[in-house]
Amino acid sequence: MNTRKTVGILLGLAGFCLPWLVTFPGLSFPGHVTLGVFLLAAAFWLTEPVPIYTTSMLVIFLEVLLLSAEGPLCQFVRPPVAQPEVIAPTQTFRLPAGAVTSAGEVFVVRPAGNFDKLKVEVVERRADVVEVRSPAVSASTPVLSRSDHWLARYSPASYRTFFASLADPIIILFLGGCLLADASVKYRLDRALTRLFLRPVGTNPKLIVLGLLVATGVLSAFMSNTATTAMMMTVVLPLLAGLDADDPLKVAVVLAIPIGANIGGIATPIGTPPNAIALAALTKQGLSVPFVKWVLMALPIVAVTLVLSWLVLLKLYRPRTRELKIELGGAFDRSPKAWGLYVVFGLTALLWFTENQHGISSNIIAFLPVVALPMFGIVGKKEIHALPWDVFWLMAGGISLGTAIKTTGLAEWMVGRVEWSALGGFAIMAGLALLSFLLANFLSHTVTVTLLAPIAVSVGAVAGTATGFDLTTALIAVAVASSYGMTLPISTPPHAIAMGSGVIQTQHLVTAGGLIGIVGMALVLVMTRFFWPLFSR
Amino acid sequence: MKPIFILCIEDEPEVLEAVVRDLAPFEARFPIESASSVAEAREVVQDILSRGRLGLVICDHILPGEDGVSFLVSLHRDPRTAGTRKVLLTAQAGLSDTVKAVNQADLNHYLAKPWRREELHAVVRAQLTEFVLQHETDLYPYLTLLDAARLGERIRQQPLPADE
Repeated sequence: MNTRKTVGILLGLAGFCLPWLVTFPGLSFPGHVTLGVFLLAAAFWLTEPVPIYTTSMLVIFLEVLLLSAEGPLCQFVRPPVAQPEVIAPTQTFRLPAGAVTSAGEVFVVRPAGNFDKLKVEVVERRADVVEVRSPAVSASTPVLSRSDHWLARYSPASYRTFFASLADPIIILFLGGCLLADASVKYRLDRALTRLFLRPVGTNPKLIVLGLLVATGVLSAFMSNTATTAMMMTVVLPLLAGLDADDPLKVAVVLAIPIGANIGGIATPIGTPPNAIALAALTKQGLSVPFVKWVLMALPIVAVTLVLSWLVLLKLYRPRTRELKIELGGAFDRSPKAWGLYVVFGLTALLWFTENQHGISSNIIAFLPVVALPMFGIVGKKEIHALPWDVFWLMAGGISLGTAIKTTGLAEWMVGRVEWSALGGFAIMAGLALLSFLLANFLSHTVTVTLLAPIAVSVGAVAGTATGFDLTTALIAVAVASSYGMTLPISTPPHAIAMGSGVIQTQHLVTAGGLIGIVGMALVLVMTRFFWPLFSR
Repeated sequence: MKPIFILCIEDEPEVLEAVVRDLAPFEARFPIESASSVAEAREVVQDILSRGRLGLVICDHILPGEDGVSFLVSLHRDPRTAGTRKVLLTAQAGLSDTVKAVNQADLNHYLAKPWRREELHAVVRAQLTEFVLQHETDLYPYLTLLDAARLGERIRQQPLPADE
């Protein structure tokens, strides 16, 4: 066990215990518990003493144990109760002084174990007892003897809510996308499309670099960035055999793949997990962003940064050779099952892009490939087993953490510490996006957005009134900014694959990735200021 | 990552030079060592194993002192070089020697002198691809030089690296 892991575990445990030992004024007891879970998860996600998806599973387990109505904490904590004492026949009762709030309310215990808040008439208030009159109180209905007890104010969610985060509609959307991508890999649709994209660019090395950026970007909008990079590397690396050992074109070609994949992932809700997490947070707030709306919001920045990447790569690594012949094998598969895939893929994409016309949520449409592909034998058990379940769990942990933070009042408490309205809407959104960009350079992009989405939503709850703050813009900015977090070789798995090719050096990645990442981030700020808020009007 | 070496054993200097020259395209990824006798080859193998792995041996049969086939047999018996791909490049190996090489050294290819350059390239590419497929998990660095179709197929089967 190395130092980082040890520190991570200690930090996580300390963070988890802190709210049990220290009482923060203004924060409910369940809020304290949630804060502990949040601090534990943040420490574990940042330092990775255990794989990140297991941290998510732990989060869900802790929430079920400590926050759900059926969990041991809510089950076994016996609130202090008192039986009303009849002192007069006219429905007048004597209660302990703590049982009645200053507003004249008592909490009556129901057989199910929950409480009903009742307004009562206070007849007389003495030092230790209160006399009240109410038709709804009787000597056989116990009331909470301390009205400030946390159970009185907390209506815990069912444990089903926390478990259900794994079947959150956004995860289903992502599941549909993943299954389509896996089937495309199986029938080599990815390879055939690559060939289609690269055919028009001919043998001009400069145009080939652009073709690679666009082809990788388009594929990665529907497939995972990592899978796209892996496939494209097997296509482009053999092309480099004929080049001089020191031709800079090699570097440009190999860099075009991970950069194109990261940028392309921004384009659709299913392009990369951060998008789906941002979308899930928005949906929870009742703000729906249809598939096609996301694409319209994201496409301009994707197109501009792809072209900028092309210029940057050619400027930094000017090709020496005049001609690069590319001969790609791989025609379209014409077997009946492959045709089945084309039909299902086409139909799903068509329905996703016409959501405004038919009004059926893209989350529901995503279940079409999930049902149709296995049913027609286009994919089998092997592909179902090979789905990225770790990513689904990771997302589920983030979604359930968001739910807990909101329902326990932790959200309002956290952001209540800052004078948000003094900052102004754009400053808040820009700050969130910058934070996302910075974190994403060191952390997994998914973890970054998982941590920041609930914070953005909390800020939104308070700063909603600040001039120019728009929650949709804020969350999209956070998600998109994370995709530009590619300045370091460790930043993303596509970068790691590109480094593994042995063709490029760390300095190449830092120079090109850094430059493009920072330009992209600047564009995110421009979009946040001028473009994305237009969609909320 | 430990480098994968190619070892060429040939007693005639001009022929050795020609083999090494023809293998030049592979040198970017696979360092090439040479020896002119079995005794020298054994020393070179020890040196290679201290720095990396022995991926491919291209060996003449008739050599001063010990012959090439018995050297290949001894390489095959050593667990550290049992997986090394073995190619006999010779004009004078008789049937019995060749049979011994196949049966006892698990000979992978027999290449007759004089060889054609393209032929040697194809044999070396196929053998190194086989070695890499059997002994390496990170295949991307070899896509440029070796059989990309076979390596690419394996990459498709492999699990992808961590989450995005």
